[in-house]
Amino acid sequence: MATNVILARMGEVTLKGLNRGRFEAQLMNNLRYRLRSFGKVSIFQSQSRIWIESKEEGNPYFETEESAKELMTAVTQVFGIVSVSLARKFQGDINDIDRNAEEYVKNLLAANPSYRTFKVECKRGNKKFPMNSPMICEEVGAWILEHFENLSVDVHNPDFILHVEVRDDNYVYAGKMMGHRGLPVGTAGKGMLLLSGGIDSPVAGYMMASRGMPIDAVYFHSFPYTSEQAKQKVVDLAKIVSRFSGRMNLYIVDFTKIQLDMVKNSPHDMLTIVMRRVMLQIAEQIAKKNDCKCLITGESLGQVASQTLEAITITNEVVDMPILRPLIGMDKEATVKISRDIGAFETSILPYEDCCTIFVAKHPKTHPKHADIEEAEKNLDIEAMVKQGVEENLEVIKI
Amino acid sequence: MIYFDNSATTRPCEEVIRVINDDLTGQMWGNPGSLHKLGMISSKAYEDALGECAKTLNCMPSELIFTSCGTESANTAIEGFFKANPRAGKTVISTRTEHKCSLETLNLLEKEGYTVKYVKVGRDGKPDLDELRSLIDEDTALLCFTHVNNETGSILPLDQIIEIKKELCPKAAVYLDCVQSLGKLPISLKTMGVDMASFSAHKIHGIKGVGLLYIRNGVKVSPHIIGGGQQNGMRSGTQSLPLAASMATAVTEAEDARANAFEEVSKINSYLRRELTARGATVNSPEDALPFVLNVAFRNFQSETMLHCLEIYEIYISTVSACSSKSKKTSYVLENMGIERSISANSVRLSFSRYNTMEEAESFVKAIDEIYELYEVKVR
Repeated sequence: MATNVILARMGEVTLKGLNRGRFEAQLMNNLRYRLRSFGKVSIFQSQSRIWIESKEEGNPYFETEESAKELMTAVTQVFGIVSVSLARKFQGDINDIDRNAEEYVKNLLAANPSYRTFKVECKRGNKKFPMNSPMICEEVGAWILEHFENLSVDVHNPDFILHVEVRDDNYVYAGKMMGHRGLPVGTAGKGMLLLSGGIDSPVAGYMMASRGMPIDAVYFHSFPYTSEQAKQKVVDLAKIVSRFSGRMNLYIVDFTKIQLDMVKNSPHDMLTIVMRRVMLQIAEQIAKKNDCKCLITGESLGQVASQTLEAITITNEVVDMPILRPLIGMDKEATVKISRDIGAFETSILPYEDCCTIFVAKHPKTHPKHADIEEAEKNLDIEAMVKQGVEENLEVIKI
Repeated sequence: MIYFDNSATTRPCEEVIRVINDDLTGQMWGNPGSLHKLGMISSKAYEDALGECAKTLNCMPSELIFTSCGTESANTAIEGFFKANPRAGKTVISTRTEHKCSLETLNLLEKEGYTVKYVKVGRDGKPDLDELRSLIDEDTALLCFTHVNNETGSILPLDQIIEIKKELCPKAAVYLDCVQSLGKLPISLKTMGVDMASFSAHKIHGIKGVGLLYIRNGVKVSPHIIGGGQQNGMRSGTQSLPLAASMATAVTEAEDARANAFEEVSKINSYLRRELTARGATVNSPEDALPFVLNVAFRNFQSETMLHCLEIYEIYISTVSACSSKSKKTSYVLENMGIERSISANSVRLSFSRYNTMEEAESFVKAIDEIYELYEVKVR
């Protein structure tokens, strides 16, 4: 009897020397966590590849190419995976290989009706099998040609390559879904992402997670200036990032009073800078308490007034932790592309958040100097503000 | 809770809930089309509901169709009119301040090759009648207007429009969206001079899921939903007696309460106009608007911020315009009335019903004072 299984290939992980075991173990753990809602599955490694099989009969995610897509997409979202294929696993002789290859190609053509050309590639691990690889290729190729009138062989540039593997079990598969590559989350220290409702910060979180970094996030909520919908949007974005980064705590800081205090007591052209300095300090405190070793922001040089080099320098000064800015040299278009790829864009561009633009001055200072910030903060009790942000009404949502 | 968002929807009144409950728990769940006794009971009650609506709206029962909502009524009337009258002209005259259910249907007609001409509206939200006269020609087949604008309460000068129609294009039909005027202005379909009109239950303390479409006898309209030929073939699908009966009750209750409600709500409206203007707010609703709607802009508060501030006091209103500095969207109704962006970005809609009280209005003003004290932000 044949069953569908999923074959996942690892990338950078396999280049690790003595640490490879730790990276692979983390990757396997992350896969198990990511696939927890796909029924009972077994996940194991063999020949430097990962195999995912259903442990129960009738799991719909393994039935057809179409229904396996959701499961395969989930696998591609686990960092460390380079590509994923749906394979057909069975036992038997060359006749069984022919029939299963035929069945597999039938499904494949149903999902991809434009395919016209193919070739067969074979790996034979089971050296007791009576035919060698070229003979198997020839036999299976002939069988497919015979059973699918519209297909022809093209060994140079085929629409699909039908892989046949003869091991303890036999496998046929074709086609790949590309993974998000990177390193398994959990192989680096944890970071605290400053998450807004915009396009950039979810991408920044995704990018750091792709280097193995687990992520917590902090959001600054200013009800009634930002609405409950805006907060829900941030929760939704955190969920999207967590598809890639795994478990996440989202900290929601009640920022209204702090912001009103700033508006009253500091010059408006410095408002954004002062606000960002306070936000970073609050984020750092929360990060320290929760074992995060760095802060992550979605800043991109020159994108807005508070992201000039001078402004970044002045906001940077207030914290000791490293601030990672994976988007700093990226063009907006490139960020938008990633945002779309990870499925965050549609959520990011929902309109709710923008009422907080009420706190942005018409002409903010783009090149603030030290004297400016000293002047701007002289009537503010920054320490008390930070304390208030960290302690009063701090909400934690487990994503 | 203070609910000033009655143009969005209303709380179903007790009588409506009782009627539905009685119908669902009693013997009224039969199919009005069935030949057996159970069906007959439902059929009779259904006719009664239809008759009650017709009597209150002053038309014949055969001129009314129960629909699922005001939107379905509008879609059916506008699209169905042209489908059924291929030899009529191909031009509709309307305004850009209609409800989306009309505007989208008109857009569709335009794509299909019909001509839609839009009359400018003035600062008072009313169509420019001179322009209307100039737009009418022999191809004009339909005039499509709203009795009361849902965002501003602006009342259509219906009698003048009917006069113009009789003079310049007597053969054209008139469609009137009465969703916001039902239960608030006198509605007498026989004498108003309109050919088609739409109504909705949930704006008058009925429930969501039922509306009415009036088609004057002799006016041809193609159905939007076809099948078993129920409701004289105008809207197939098994009739829902509980919905029909609830509509009838909602209409009757609203009509019975109309004169008193108008007086009470007028007092609330003028009180709020006075008090809010004194606090620097700008009233966008024209002086002679329906008192049930008050569109007002609060200084230094974007629409959405004010909505959320009031939420803290459990006061519910509507922004009509989406606050979004990126998409630069404000209310298309206010925009077409020529109201500046700075005002429309701060505009909210208060809308009242017969259940609102002067005490609520006073609490509202008190809340506004506190909101200014606590949340006003002026960033230069």
